[in-house]
Amino acid sequence: MNNSTAPGPLPVLAIDDEPQIQRLLTIALEANGYRVTAAGSGQEGLAQAAQHPHDLIILDLGLPDMTGLQVLKQLREWTQAPVIIVTVQEGAAEKIEALDCGADDYVTKPFNTGELLARMRAALRRYHKTRFDEPIFHFGDVTADLATRVVTVKGQPVKLTAKEYDLLRLFIQHSGKVLTHRQILREIWGATHEDQTQYLRVYMARLREKLEQDPAAPPLFLTEAGVGYRLAEG
Amino acid sequence: MSEQTHQNAALAADSSQSGAAGEHRAGPGSSLAGSGGTNGSPVPMGSSWLQYGLALMTFAGVSLLNLWLQQWIGYQAIALLYLLAVVLLALFVSRGPILLGTALTALGWNFLFAPPRYSFHIGSFYDKMMCAMYFVVALVVGQLTALLRAQRAAERQREARTREAEINSRLLAESERLGRTLLNSVSHELRTPIAAITSAASSLRASGALSAAQQNLTGEIESAAARLNRVVQSLLSAARLQSGQLRPKLDWCDISELVKVTLRGVEGLLAGHPVQKQIPAGIPLVRADFVLMEQALANLVINAATHTPPETPIQVEARVEEATLVLEVADRGPGLPPDQIDRAFDLFHRAPTARPGGTGLGLAIVKGFVEAQGGSVRAGNRPQGGAVFCICLPVAEPPELQEETL
Repeated sequence: MNNSTAPGPLPVLAIDDEPQIQRLLTIALEANGYRVTAAGSGQEGLAQAAQHPHDLIILDLGLPDMTGLQVLKQLREWTQAPVIIVTVQEGAAEKIEALDCGADDYVTKPFNTGELLARMRAALRRYHKTRFDEPIFHFGDVTADLATRVVTVKGQPVKLTAKEYDLLRLFIQHSGKVLTHRQILREIWGATHEDQTQYLRVYMARLREKLEQDPAAPPLFLTEAGVGYRLAEG
Repeated sequence: MSEQTHQNAALAADSSQSGAAGEHRAGPGSSLAGSGGTNGSPVPMGSSWLQYGLALMTFAGVSLLNLWLQQWIGYQAIALLYLLAVVLLALFVSRGPILLGTALTALGWNFLFAPPRYSFHIGSFYDKMMCAMYFVVALVVGQLTALLRAQRAAERQREARTREAEINSRLLAESERLGRTLLNSVSHELRTPIAAITSAASSLRASGALSAAQQNLTGEIESAAARLNRVVQSLLSAARLQSGQLRPKLDWCDISELVKVTLRGVEGLLAGHPVQKQIPAGIPLVRADFVLMEQALANLVINAATHTPPETPIQVEARVEEATLVLEVADRGPGLPPDQIDRAFDLFHRAPTARPGGTGLGLAIVKGFVEAQGGSVRAGNRPQGGAVFCICLPVAEPPELQEETL
């Protein structure tokens, strides 16, 4: 969180084959303190990424020369820079695969610029954050102290089972990031349970019941339909 | 694209050719099937009468030849010539005519050549044995040849059928691929400009350099683009349903989560209609595709909001009836005209009383999505007024869930 405001515009690589979208991304991002390099194909994107360091990569999954997933896999062989995927509504399977291959987040076409900028800021913040500096996390009415394992809502302690606590901690560790069903199941219940979404449904319902006590407040745990869950930031 | 079309046409021509060839092959086989003397196995030559004629002619021809040759060779060698004729005959005709040929040549040899000549009486034991052996050998060789040929013909037919099936499945895969490519490229071409409009308008609004009126105008551009995007989404969903390219991914779903997520998604589209939701605690998980269910339920809620007077409530209720989960969207509007109830879910069907706007796709998509997941839909009117639309999903055996030991 401390070194995300580096001097000068942050270099961003945008890999998208539509010149119009490239132009718009360039205008919108450069107005918000980024410097954009545009690439119109997977090969060009990989070449650009290798030539100059970029702080973040925006990758459209529908490219003419190779699949976005191939580009992502090749990128992940040597760089951990945040990658945000751009995809279409029906692409739940595509999104899951991209996230499992190391994409940091996605936006669904058509997206508004504010949404993309928010996702970029969150991804950069997570990337520059070095482990846990503080054991205490606040989100909504909830305070979780990872050192003492005490969770409170509006100051009132809440009893969580061991699994519920593990699940909450996983979300806190990846605050703001989408976690796919499979990633969560593998992490909390083990590889043998990674297809058993019933655990996830039941435990998410219990966690929400215990922590989202105010029905009028915005939800803490966001459902990403067909993909996974995300802990709302802030 | 043109290359694909071309390839497709070539494939079609290929298949029509093979179809025609198939008919040719089937021709003689089917005309022979059931005719006397054969067991229906296909043979390479014309009708059975022709074959019996050929057997007779072979017998007559070889007999004449033997009558001429007998001045140089003995009657035993003549038997071998008859045998040769029967074997050659067996290459061309089916079992019945072979049997006729065998009988005729055996009798002919006996009558014309075996001493005493011109009588069916056979003198020596040796000649009697020879006559019997001749009959057996000719018959066996003839039958074996016919059998072999029938097997080969059956094999050819099987090969032809496999080839035809292969071509058909290739053609089907090809047309499916073409449909998918077309759908994807149309989808891409429609969505890219919508994405550009949305991106430009939202950047403009976020720039902070606009007057209040300009802010409102960009807001209008954004909501129009969002509406256009929903229409494109609906058209693509309908196209995907029509072409059978929908592959639901069934997973355990929490209905109360589904309803919450759906209602949050349509919040801005309800024009002041309050939504009352009623979901009993502990409602079982169901097997469904969350994404498809979200769109189906959203369509029902939007449908209710667009066809009822402003600010009338919409009720969303879930309950279990025997082994079925019923998800119900009820409104306080004018209800469905009784004669329209059965057609409510038809593609492009719009009630005559419906207000302008709308594509006639929404409810058809609901039906398509729900049925693709093994469920069903129904529509009706509530006794206290207003329409009601239901999504029914089978409730499966509850999933295994090991509780933690505390």
